[in-house]
Amino acid sequence: MTKPRVFLVDDHSMFRSGVRSELAGAVDIVGEAADVEPAITQIAESLPEVVLLDVHLPGGGGQDVVAEIKAEHPDVKFLALSASDAPEDVIAVIRAGARGYVTKTISGAELIDAIRRVAAGDAVFSPRLAGFVLDAFAAGHSAELDRPSFDPELDQLTGREREVLRLIARGYTYREVAKELFISVKTVESHVSSVLRKLQLSTRHQLTRWAAERRLT
Amino acid sequence: MASRVHDSVLQTLALIQRRAGDQQQVIRLARAQERELRAWLFDGRPPGSMKGQAETVADGVRLIQQEVESQHGLAVDAVTVGDCELDDDMSALLAAAREATVNAAKWSGADTVSLFAEVEPESVSIFVRDRGRGFDPAAVPADRKGLAESVRARLARRGGAATIRSAPGEGTEVSLVMPRSAADRMSNRS
Repeated sequence: MTKPRVFLVDDHSMFRSGVRSELAGAVDIVGEAADVEPAITQIAESLPEVVLLDVHLPGGGGQDVVAEIKAEHPDVKFLALSASDAPEDVIAVIRAGARGYVTKTISGAELIDAIRRVAAGDAVFSPRLAGFVLDAFAAGHSAELDRPSFDPELDQLTGREREVLRLIARGYTYREVAKELFISVKTVESHVSSVLRKLQLSTRHQLTRWAAERRLT
Repeated sequence: MASRVHDSVLQTLALIQRRAGDQQQVIRLARAQERELRAWLFDGRPPGSMKGQAETVADGVRLIQQEVESQHGLAVDAVTVGDCELDDDMSALLAAAREATVNAAKWSGADTVSLFAEVEPESVSIFVRDRGRGFDPAAVPADRKGLAESVRARLARRGGAATIRSAPGEGTEVSLVMPRSAADRMSNRS
């Protein structure tokens, strides 16, 4: 397996060095930055496959880095990492174009697996992100379904997508979800990618309002 | 307020330095500190004031997470979807979830337990899952069956149910469900 080329963006040097040592050998770290501006400049130069991006940076939110790079270099993929889990920030970085979200307490092995998935174009949902999404799409939908601009394809999850998200929220890996639902891992991946797409494209007011109102553990 | 948080963080850092040889203890301290900071940053609760009674299912799940993490030194990955008030039925459900989580912490050998609660219009479900050593439910000695049976009976009295799925080497998942009372549904958050 070729090593994915990875760029680290986090303002804590201790966290960066911890991640570097955990990823050593499994990925090729091509650079790192501690804030929005240097990250944008250096990512544009080194053009990594995957950027590991802290949601919170001193000079702004991680979503600024995603938006800026995506405009010029759509092939660069982003995996968001966060310690804070404030849902409005997580949703903002996903809507800006990140392919997934994991918490900073993730183990080294799981992080390597998540990077490989994102490099391959798949979406990576942690249990927490799955919970956010179920909550956001479930909250007060009855009033909104009557909205003229409501797009059922984008603004609602299918029953199967919900089942997949519930299992992820329960702590199942994609492989375990596949086994539980008698479907292939590829099919699980395609459901998750479809949910990610809805999360990014849906215009539901509810989604942003929910994220802004909700305060989590 | 900021000085109180800084003081609390400094104390923890000092403790961590002194106990650096005891990995479990260091992990426990770091987690407890993380939770305090998180509560302060996101819930507006100052450190040390988290002993308040839970008022909703999500609060209760958070209390279970805190209690098990600090007493057993493993991570509880807690996710809650929706929320509702904590009436007697929901308290019984949470008591069962707590028991299942503590059991996983004590017996599974896993370093993480997943705790997922979902509040739906008609019922509330909680799943407690670990990837630990698991067991053969058919081979549990009669004297240990009491635990699972008492949880099941307590939930059943209130119209709820509990199921346990486990196999040696494949971890354990306890599924708990409790119907919501009509009064409680009226007070639904959303």
